[in-house]
Amino acid sequence: MHRRRTPLGFLTAYVPEELFHAAGFEPVFIFHAPEEYGKGRAHLPGFVCWVVMSALDQALAGALDRLGALALAKTCDATQGLADLWRRNVPQIPLFHFGMPSRLEGPAVKAYLMAELRDLRDRVEAFTGCPIAEHALWDSIAYYNRLRATVRAAYARVAEYAPSAFYAALRDLLRSHRPALPGPSPLPNAPRLILVGPALGDPVLFEVVEQVGARIVGDLFDLGERYFEADAAENGDPLEAIAERLGALTPTPTKYHAAHSRAARLLEMVRERNADGVIFARQKFCEPHGFDYVRLACALDRAGVPHLMLELEQASQAGQLRTRVEAFVEMIRGV
Amino acid sequence: MSRYPRLQSLQEISEVMKRYYVQRSIMARLRPVAYVTSGAPVEILEAMGILTLYPENYGALCGAQGAAVGLCQVSESAGYPADLCSYARSHLGAAMSPKQAPLHGLPRPDLLVCCTNICGTVLKWYEALAEVYRVPLFVLDVPFQRTTPPEPHIVAYVSEQLHELIAWLQAHTGRRLKQERLRQTLQYAREAVSLWQEILAFGQHRPSPINAPDLFVAMAPIVTLRGTRKAVECYRHLKAELEERVARGIGAVPGERYRLLWDNIAIWYRLYRFFRPFMDAGACFVADTYTNAWTVALEVDEPFTGMALAYTGVFINLDLSTRLQTIMKLARRFQVDGVVMHANRSCKPFSITQYEVREALRAELGLPVLILEADMTDSRLYNDGAIQERIAAFLESL
Ligand code: SF4
Ligand code: SF4
Repeated sequence: MHRRRTPLGFLTAYVPEELFHAAGFEPVFIFHAPEEYGKGRAHLPGFVCWVVMSALDQALAGALDRLGALALAKTCDATQGLADLWRRNVPQIPLFHFGMPSRLEGPAVKAYLMAELRDLRDRVEAFTGCPIAEHALWDSIAYYNRLRATVRAAYARVAEYAPSAFYAALRDLLRSHRPALPGPSPLPNAPRLILVGPALGDPVLFEVVEQVGARIVGDLFDLGERYFEADAAENGDPLEAIAERLGALTPTPTKYHAAHSRAARLLEMVRERNADGVIFARQKFCEPHGFDYVRLACALDRAGVPHLMLELEQASQAGQLRTRVEAFVEMIRGV
Repeated sequence: MSRYPRLQSLQEISEVMKRYYVQRSIMARLRPVAYVTSGAPVEILEAMGILTLYPENYGALCGAQGAAVGLCQVSESAGYPADLCSYARSHLGAAMSPKQAPLHGLPRPDLLVCCTNICGTVLKWYEALAEVYRVPLFVLDVPFQRTTPPEPHIVAYVSEQLHELIAWLQAHTGRRLKQERLRQTLQYAREAVSLWQEILAFGQHRPSPINAPDLFVAMAPIVTLRGTRKAVECYRHLKAELEERVARGIGAVPGERYRLLWDNIAIWYRLYRFFRPFMDAGACFVADTYTNAWTVALEVDEPFTGMALAYTGVFINLDLSTRLQTIMKLARRFQVDGVVMHANRSCKPFSITQYEVREALRAELGLPVLILEADMTDSRLYNDGAIQERIAAFLESL
């Protein structure tokens, strides 16, 4: 990799990063920002999650102009709407839309997903004017597998890290590909929590967990642990390897897979990690996680696992979150 | 309402819908019942003799009867956040607490068929229903239509799932799909759709014999009875009545002065009341984007490709520039003087691009546009004072 890669922004948890990487891009995730440039609200109604609002706001303010393109996979209605708005309002950053199926099982899915990946490859090649060599795809697949292995190794010891440092390192990795974990700082007897939610982009959440003396032992964030769960095979057909990986991940709430249930995965994590409780950190106005919360919460109730629902928005106040997380953690500690 | 003559056929349609719910609850004891989303390929189920029920239509009914808020509260106390689609919150509330729901809720389903061409919300809603009722769910995944016509691999994907759906329905009900029945059903659906297109086109007359709230009442059969003879009959009668109005020069809004375009789902708890200040000012909503969503023609000769194309090409599943073209065309064809958009908190996919549409309508057609934020069934989000003020200012500006 000698020549400088063009940064490619991406949104949502189903973008085939390997494909873009093989085409010479450096995929970087676009996190929502705590600050607002005041550009997004003229284009979006107030009842859209901050993740989407902030992405458009940053783009309209020119804060993303370093990107050579943006990639977005079909997930929720809000990001689908964002794709439409992006095309009209951010012409300087061309958009690649990847039609990730909403169903991850069934006889028709695989052929469609493969056709969609080929279609995306053709569109990317037409854009760069340069075919993606098969060996480049294999190199990128291997590169991402290595990156994921690093992340999995870090996750294996997640409980030993201060939450805000761990998730800051993860965000950096998704932005810069450089794994830079600080040293662990174990906290014996800290309450052990699992976090569930759409995004990792709210540092305040991790700070609050840290402040109340709890540790995170796993998560079900769309771009968290599940995103690094499976690798792509390094033999056979490269696009097929990418497709199979996307289908093998624990689904996000926007995807349907009858036999691969998020509730089962969450319960399994709770048991494996000896978790004391689960915190849901939903973005306000997020439909998929809003509905999903009820299913997961019922499963936790049946298993007798305590949980707490927090709603995040742009102006999420550490103080308010802290009061609730503190009360939850005290309840777990039994004080 | 005495100044505003009601269409007789709407009375008939309301009766048909009342009977529909009563009959379905009786027939539900004899035949398998499937809940379906409003964009599902219902012709297949209809042809197999499976009874279909529409939780979305039921949500609208709860809204119109003022029952939605109580039912939404039931789901909210079960944990559903209050900012989710209120059709889903109302219907899930009714499913959890049928005693307090209109008609005591819908009859229990045996099967669930969810088609993702309208939104991602229905996927989550139907997953929840599958848990509440412990019945099988079929998800018909329809990708977003990026180009018109859609790419061949999208059509192939949808069409293959239609075959899968048939096999799934056969396995679960023991009923077979007879090609002849399917043709007949598609034929009825096609006829109903083309009558519906003609009915909508009446808004082009001056004065227009029909106003958007009338269409919101009239649309129930095109949603729930598509593929049946009943829908065709209802629309023949309505069409005849509109022809007569045109021949006699009767407008839905006497003394029509302004012609407006409506965007988004109706405000069900104020169906006519909302439009009253407009009618009083002589403003008639001659076209709308909501009822227009059921005008996609079905191809009978190539039923599977035809259905795949029709169900992929529903209005809300199209890319913004195609939707914009549709709206511009409506505005021009119906010669409207202004546009009112309902920023519907419930329906993100319908509402998220409205500011963009407003800009385009202003820039390209020079039309005044009013955006009002409300909710289609959750009346707690309706701020009457503010809305009345803005309507008055808008009418003033025309
Ligand atoms: S927070 Fe929810 S609604 Fe917003 S982009 Fe993520 S999944 Fe979509
Ligand atoms: S989100 Fe919109 S399209 Fe989906 S069920 Fe609700 S009202 Fe219908």
